[in-house]
Amino acid sequence: MADLVNVTINGSQIQAEKGRMLIDVAEEMGIFVPRFCYHPGMKSVAVCRMCLVQIEGQRKLLPACATPVDDGMNVNTSDEQAVDAQQGMLEFLLINHPLDCPICDRGGECPLQDQTYRHGPGASRYVEPKRTYEKALEISDLVVLDRERCVLCWRCVRFCDEISGDRFIQLVDRGPGTQILTFSDEPFNSYFSGNTIQICPVGALTSLPYRFASRPWDLQTAPSVCAYCSVGCPITNESRSGQLVRCQALPNENVNDFWICDKGRFGYHYVSSEERLETPLVRKGDEFAPASWGEALQLAAEKLGGKERVGVIAGGHLTTEDAFGVSRLARSVIGTPHLDSRVQDAGAPYELFRSAGGVAGSTATLNDLEEAKTIWWVGPDPKESLPVLFLRLRKAVLDRGAHLTVVSPRRISLDEFADTVIRTSEADDGSVAGQIAEKSKGELEDPVVVCWGPAHPGRDERATVTAVVELARAHDSKVLVCPPHAGSQGLLDMGVHPLMEPGYADAALGGRDTRAILEGAAKGEIDTLLLLGVDPIADFPDAGLAQRALESKAFSIVVELFPTETALRADVVMPSAAYAERDGTFTNLERRLQKLERLMTPVGAARDPWKICTALAQAMGQEWKWHDLEDVWEDIRKTVPTHAGIRLEALKQQAPAPAPFYEPALSAQHGRAEGAMGGPGGQYPKGHRGGAPFQTGQNWPLSWELRAFEAKQRPGLIPAPGGLSATPAGGPDAPSRASEAAQPAAGTPPAEASSASTRPSGPPIDRDHSFVLYSGRLIYDEGAMVRRTAALRGIQAKPFVEMNEYDVKRLEVADGDEVVVSGNGVEARLRVVVADIGAGAVFVPYDQEGLRANRLMAGIDPVVEVKPG
Amino acid sequence: MPESNNLVAETHVVLRRARTFPEDSWTLSRVLDDKGYESAKTVIGGMSPEATVDLVKESGLRGRGGAGFPTGVKWSFIPKDVFPRYVVVNHDEGEPGTFKDREIAERDPHQLIEGIAIAAWACQANKAFIYCRGEFALGSRRLDAAIGEAYEQGFLGRGIFGSDFDLDIILHRGAGAYICGEESALLDSLEGYRGQPRLRPPFPAIKGLYGQPTVINNTETLSTLPALLSNGADWFKQWGTEKSPGTKVFSVSGHINRPGNYEIPLGTSLADLLELGGGMRSGGELKAIIPGGASAPLLTSTDVAMDFEALKDAGTMLGSGAVVFMDDSTCMVRNALVTTEFFEHESCGKCTPCREGTWWAVKVLERIEHGQGRAEDMDLLLDIADGIDGRSFCPLGDAASWALRSNVKVFREEFEQHVVDGRCPFEPEERNLVGAMSGGLGLGAAGIGPQPSAGIEVDREGRDGSNGSGN
Repeated sequence: MADLVNVTINGSQIQAEKGRMLIDVAEEMGIFVPRFCYHPGMKSVAVCRMCLVQIEGQRKLLPACATPVDDGMNVNTSDEQAVDAQQGMLEFLLINHPLDCPICDRGGECPLQDQTYRHGPGASRYVEPKRTYEKALEISDLVVLDRERCVLCWRCVRFCDEISGDRFIQLVDRGPGTQILTFSDEPFNSYFSGNTIQICPVGALTSLPYRFASRPWDLQTAPSVCAYCSVGCPITNESRSGQLVRCQALPNENVNDFWICDKGRFGYHYVSSEERLETPLVRKGDEFAPASWGEALQLAAEKLGGKERVGVIAGGHLTTEDAFGVSRLARSVIGTPHLDSRVQDAGAPYELFRSAGGVAGSTATLNDLEEAKTIWWVGPDPKESLPVLFLRLRKAVLDRGAHLTVVSPRRISLDEFADTVIRTSEADDGSVAGQIAEKSKGELEDPVVVCWGPAHPGRDERATVTAVVELARAHDSKVLVCPPHAGSQGLLDMGVHPLMEPGYADAALGGRDTRAILEGAAKGEIDTLLLLGVDPIADFPDAGLAQRALESKAFSIVVELFPTETALRADVVMPSAAYAERDGTFTNLERRLQKLERLMTPVGAARDPWKICTALAQAMGQEWKWHDLEDVWEDIRKTVPTHAGIRLEALKQQAPAPAPFYEPALSAQHGRAEGAMGGPGGQYPKGHRGGAPFQTGQNWPLSWELRAFEAKQRPGLIPAPGGLSATPAGGPDAPSRASEAAQPAAGTPPAEASSASTRPSGPPIDRDHSFVLYSGRLIYDEGAMVRRTAALRGIQAKPFVEMNEYDVKRLEVADGDEVVVSGNGVEARLRVVVADIGAGAVFVPYDQEGLRANRLMAGIDPVVEVKPG
Repeated sequence: MPESNNLVAETHVVLRRARTFPEDSWTLSRVLDDKGYESAKTVIGGMSPEATVDLVKESGLRGRGGAGFPTGVKWSFIPKDVFPRYVVVNHDEGEPGTFKDREIAERDPHQLIEGIAIAAWACQANKAFIYCRGEFALGSRRLDAAIGEAYEQGFLGRGIFGSDFDLDIILHRGAGAYICGEESALLDSLEGYRGQPRLRPPFPAIKGLYGQPTVINNTETLSTLPALLSNGADWFKQWGTEKSPGTKVFSVSGHINRPGNYEIPLGTSLADLLELGGGMRSGGELKAIIPGGASAPLLTSTDVAMDFEALKDAGTMLGSGAVVFMDDSTCMVRNALVTTEFFEHESCGKCTPCREGTWWAVKVLERIEHGQGRAEDMDLLLDIADGIDGRSFCPLGDAASWALRSNVKVFREEFEQHVVDGRCPFEPEERNLVGAMSGGLGLGAAGIGPQPSAGIEVDREGRDGSNGSGN
C-alpha cells in the first residue's frame, strides 16, 4: 500500500495515495477539474492547460493532471485565479474553433461545449478571421478528420502511440499552424481507430458510419457487451428510430480499460440487416414456407424425440442463459449426450484445463496480466481475433515490464515486443509440445500467466494444451484460456460439451463432439440435428463434412439470425433475436459475467434462444416454466455449482436519480443565476430525462468526460468487480476449488470420438508440394455478422497464402505471385505473401471473401498442396 | 564613425583570447601557445570531480543562457551511481538580439571544448553533445575542425590528457527552431523527435537525454570554466556583485554607433554599456531598451546596473544579455508586432495559451498598426498577455507575454495614438529598422546600422560552404 497523504481541496480534507494525480483525487471527492488533454487511460501531457489549479505556496497555477498530491497540499480549483485561468483558456481554445456545433456530430455530447458552459466565459472577444483548413478529410474508411475543430489535445496521437502502437496520426507543423494529420499516402488503418473518435474532446475526429446519423439527444441507449470475441468489452448500444446506429466503449478498467476494437465499434449494422430472419420457416420440398411458431415448434418437437440419435450444436454467440437452456434441453428433455459448442475450435480440449485450476477455462484475470512478470502466449494472433486482449498484453509488456514468450508457427502481432519467440511448425517434425516443455525449463520470474487459445482450426491441439497445462502446473501459474467467441466460455460453463456437465463435472455419459455429430448425421447414425446460432458449413474446419451432414437424411432444426448456408439446408428454421435485442449475460474469457441490456425489440417474430429451448421443451410435453431471465437464473443457481449464489441483480446496473447538471456554487461564481442559461445547455436535463449515464433508455446527452464523472458519483454505474461484473465462484477468486474438482479428463478420448482422427485417405500426397495448413481468422472476415455490416465491407483483406521464403524459392514463385492451393478436392488461386512462418507450412486466413479455408480441410490436421499458378 | 572615447573599458575573460589575438584565436597553434587546455589538463589530472563541482559552486558562476541558475548547484543535482550521464551544450542561441555564443564559439572553439572537458569531468560524463544552432555555418565549421584537432591531440577520445577519463564530443546542428533552445525541447530534438518541451519533473538532471542524467549548459558558461578553474573562485569573484559574480558578454545592438559583443563585469551600469557601444546613432534620442533579449520587459532609462538582481528589481531581466537600444524613430506598435510575430512563429504549438495567445495578439497588433485598432484593444492585449503569462507549458509563452505587456504598458499612449489617428505615425522606412528582430533573423549586429566594432564575421561562404577548416 502506498503512503497516504493529507490533501485539502477546496476546503475539504481527504487522504489520498501519495503520487496520484490531483485531477483524479479531486474527481473522487466530487470536484471536477475541467480538462481536454487529460485522459485517465493515458499518460499526462499537460498541454491544454485547462486544469490549472491554485496550490498554496506555488507562484504559478499548476496543471492538476500532472501534479502529484503531496502531504499538506492545499488546493483550490475554483478560486478567482483558477476560474480566470479556466475562462481564459476556453476563450483561447474557442478563438479558432469553428462553432459549427449545429452540424457537428459531437454537438450535445461535446466536452468543449459542456466545459464551456460550465467553466467558460460567456462571450468571445475575438473579432479576427478564424484559422481554416480543408474540411472533413476521410483519413480512413471509418474516420473523418476536421482539423478546424481540433483543440490539439493530442489524445488521438497519444492513443496511437501509447495504447495501440499504430502510429498513423501525428502532429504536423508548429505554432498556431500545428495540426493533427495522417501521412499523405497512408490511411488511418488501425484496428483501434474508433477509440480516437470516442476520446476526441471535440468533433475533430468523427465516425464515417455514424456521420450525421443522429443527434445525441435523439438516441436510445443501453449498456451491453460486445458480441464478437471472448474479451467481452462492455459497450453501449445506441439506436435511433429502431435502427442501431452506434456502439461505443464503456470504460471498465478490469476488462477493456477504455477501449474497444473497430470490429466491435463499427460492426453493428447486421442487427438491422434486411437479411434478418423474421419468422419461423418450414421446408416444403425445395422451398421454405413461413410458419407460425406453434407449427415450427410442433414439427421440431416431433423430430427431437430420438434420444441419443439427436445431436445438438450451439454457436459461440449464445448467452449464458441460452447455453443453460440448450444444455438442459439436450440432457434432460431430449436425453442425448451428443452436444457441443466448439465449431471453429472443434476439438479444442478446454476440459484439460480442469487439471490446472479446476475449471475448463481461465484461472487468471485480465488484471493478472498486468501483475505478471512472465507471460506465455500460445495461441492465435490476438490482434486479429481478440483485439482488446492484444492491448492488455501490450500494456502488460510495454508498461508493466512483463517478459513475453510467444509460441506460434507464424509471425503474429505480439512478436514485436516479445522477449522470446518460439517458431513452431509441425511440418519439420518439431513437436509444439516438446518445444514448450524444452523452453520453459528452469526458473520463470513470478508471477507467471500462461495464455492459450485455439489458434488453428482443424489442427489437433491436445498435445499443445497438455504441454501448456504442464507448464502452468510446473510454475504454479495461472492460466488465461481464450476461447474464440463472446459466448464460448458461458457454453463451456453450462456444459454444452460432450464430456462436461454444467459446472465442469464429468458427463455421466460421454457424447459425440461436433465432428462426430456431423459424421453421425452424414452416416445416418444421427437422425436429428439441432443447431443454434451456428453455421458449420461456414465455420467447421471441414466444410465438406458439414455439407454432407446437412444434406443427409437427418432432420435439421436451425435457430439463426440469417439465412446462412446451413440454414438454407435445414428443415425447420427459427429466427433468433440479436444481442442488442436481448437481456442476458455473456461470460468472457476471464470468466466474468457481464450483463446485456435490451435496447430494441427483436425483429419480426424472432425470439431469444433460451425461450426457444423452453418452448421446445414445452412442445415435448415438459413442465418447464421460464418466463424471464430471473427464472433461468433461479435454475442456474440451483444446478450449476460454480454459479451458486450469483445474483442477477448484482450484475445489473443501478439507475439512481441524476444529479443536478451544474453545481450551483460554481454557476454563481460565473455570475449566472441558476436556470438562466440559454442555448443547448438550457435543454440539458435537470431530472426530467430521468436517466443515469449508462442506463437503458433515452440517451442523456453529455460528454464522456462528464458522464464518467457523473457516473462515479453514483456507485455501481461504472463497472467494477462485484458490481456490474462478477466472476463465478470457483474462478480466479477461489482457486482452492481446484483440488476438489473433478479429476482431469486428460488423455481420455471421447466415448464416441470422431473416427476421422487421421488424415483423409485419398490420392497419395505429393511430398514436394504438400504443406501443413494453418488457418485463423482475420479481424474483418466473412463471418455472418461482419459480412452484413456495411461499414466494414470495404476493408476486408482478400484471401492470401503465407509461405516461408525458402518454400517460395523452392516452388520458384515470388511474393505477390498467384499459386494454386488445393485440398479436399477444392482448388483456390491465392496470392503469395512471403512471411515468417515455419518451413513446410502455409497460412491461409479462415474466411475471407472468395475463399473459406474450411473448404480446403478434410479430417484433423489438414494438409494442402501448393503449386505455382 | 565616431571614435570611442575609451572612458569605459571592457574586462575580457571569455573573450580574452579572441580579443587579444583577433587574427588567429581559433587556431590550434595559437591556442597551444596561449596555454590552451592547461586548465583542463590540471583539473582532470589533479582535481577530484567533487572538488571541481565545489570550486564552481564557490565561484558563484551563474548560467549565461538566460535563467541564471548557479552552475555548480546544477551539476550537483546529478544522481550518484547512475551512468551513463551526458553533458549537453546549448549552443542554439536564438534569442533575438543575442549573438554572443556565436562569437565565442567562432573565435575560440577550443576554449569551449576545454570547458566541456572540465564540465564532463566534474559530472563524470563520457559523452558530450553540442547542439549548435543550424544557421551558425562558420561557427559549426570551426567547432568541427577544433573537435578534430582536439582528438588528434589526445584532448578528446580515450584517456584524455593521459588520464583514464574518456570523453567524446558530438556536434549536432539544429534545424532552425527557437524552441530547441529550451533545454528539454533541445533534448527531444537531439533524440530525433519533434522539438517540444518536456513535462517536468523529471528534470534533465535526473532523466535527460535518452532518459539518463544530463547537464545542460550554455556555451558562454562553459567557456568561462577554463579561466575560472585556472585562477580560482576568488579571482572570478573580484568582478561583479555578490550574487552575480564575474563578467558577462553582452550583445549590444540597435540604433547605436558600434553594435557588437562587449564583456564587462556584472553590475556595470547600462549607461556604460551604451557608451561602449558608441552611444546612440546620430540624431537619435534613446526611446526604449530591451535589456536581456526579446523576452525582457522594456526599460526607458540607462540608469540601472547590469546584473541579475538589479534588473529583476527594475522589473525586467538580464536574460541572455542581449541589449537592444531603440531611438525615437522606432514605432513601438511595430516593435511589439515584430516581437510577438517572432514568438508566434517560433511557438511549438504544444500548449494552448502560447499557440492561440500569440496568434491572437499578432492579429490585434496588425490591426492597430494598420490603423484599424479599437479603443478596447490595448486592454485586450494586456488580457491576452495575462492569459499566457504563467500558464504556458514552457517559458516561451511567458517570454512572449512579457514583451507584449511591456510594450503596451510602457508605450500605451503611442498605441492609443495609432487607434485615434487610424494610422501609424511613423515613416514606413523607419519602421523597417527595428533592432529587436535583427538578432532573431540571424543578421546579428551586422545586419543593421553601421559596421560592428569587432567580433562579428560575416560568413561569405554560406551555410553549406565546403571549406571545413573554418579559416
